[in-house]
Amino acid sequence: MTIIRLYQQKVFVMAYSILRDREDALDAVQETFLRLYQKAGLYKPGNSFQGWLLQMAKNISIDSYRKHQMKRREWETTKPIDEIPVAAEPARTGDSAAADLRSAFARSVETLANRQKMVFIMRHYNELQFNEISEAMKISIGTAKSLHFKAVQNLRKRLAPVLGIGS
Amino acid sequence: MAEHIEKCPECRAESGAIERLLAQTEAVRSEIRAAAASVDWDALPGQIADRVMSADGKARRVAPAERSRGWLAALRMKPVLVGLVAGLVVGAAAMYFALKAPGPGAKGNAGYYASGEFLDRAELEMARRNTLDYLEKSQYVLLDVFESADEGPVVPAAVRSERARDLLQRKQYLNGQLERFQMAKAKAICDQIEMLFLELSQIDSELTAAEIGKIRGLVEERQLLLKINLVKKELQSGV
Repeated sequence: MTIIRLYQQKVFVMAYSILRDREDALDAVQETFLRLYQKAGLYKPGNSFQGWLLQMAKNISIDSYRKHQMKRREWETTKPIDEIPVAAEPARTGDSAAADLRSAFARSVETLANRQKMVFIMRHYNELQFNEISEAMKISIGTAKSLHFKAVQNLRKRLAPVLGIGS
Repeated sequence: MAEHIEKCPECRAESGAIERLLAQTEAVRSEIRAAAASVDWDALPGQIADRVMSADGKARRVAPAERSRGWLAALRMKPVLVGLVAGLVVGAAAMYFALKAPGPGAKGNAGYYASGEFLDRAELEMARRNTLDYLEKSQYVLLDVFESADEGPVVPAAVRSERARDLLQRKQYLNGQLERFQMAKAKAICDQIEMLFLELSQIDSELTAAEIGKIRGLVEERQLLLKINLVKKELQSGV
């Protein structure tokens, strides 16, 4: 219970960053702690527990994301075209331009290469340090920094027209 | 680094662009924070613990049964395999009933289960045919003897006695059948022929005309050839 209380919000942020859906993220959190209970014996003392847990959460969230993608594709192929919602975005509140920008940014992060995306999410959404990211992703700190740099450069190129910055 | 950015306009522009870019992460972070704020974090550990406990209990209850019936569960989950097994069962049942039902070839096997009455009838028919054959051959031998008496000794006596001995042997076999089926008339004529052939079988040298005449007289006296013909006709008509 203490472990759950300590890490549940961090796991939620990781899951939500990938899934972008509150309920799906909560399911992923529960699944992560269930998996932790089942595979607790696989944890090697000396390694970062947080890194190990977040790695598990990341894998579960990616699996869940893929399943939802497949379901959505099946649903779209079996449903008549009239019944498929063209705009799946929820109703926006507040500043429309800011919402558009946030949506474009989120889509751009989605299009990053998998490892770049994970490093970016961990660094900026989970607010992890590079050493924590390297432990969670089982990569060196240098590789984590390099992947983060490439992710930022790619985002900069893709969002240049929207943000009004020169490429 | 900060000093360089202040002095270098290009790096300053680049830094500004990245700051504006990364500022967008704050928007996403705020979205995440909003989503997290709506979660009851105090209740969630209890829900997770309940789920862990129920999953653990379920695993303990189900695991032994699943291990023992794993293959069965796999079959249930595989419609193709289930269909295949069902096809094999139906095919085997169809083969069983097809082979069990009496087919065209079954009539041929009926003979193996013939009744005693049928076998008796078959043996009677065999006796009738054997008697007919015996009478016919005896008739030939007797006619041969009579013809040779008219034309001289054309057939050697040794040959005649050989035929007579052969017919005597057959008569031994015929006796049992004639008695079993109470063919009295046929048995009587066959016995007379047997007596005659006994005499013929004893002859080693050529018969003289007088001896042949004696035998012929005996046959004619007993009307042996006529009786043979009558019995033959009766046997042929199946009486």
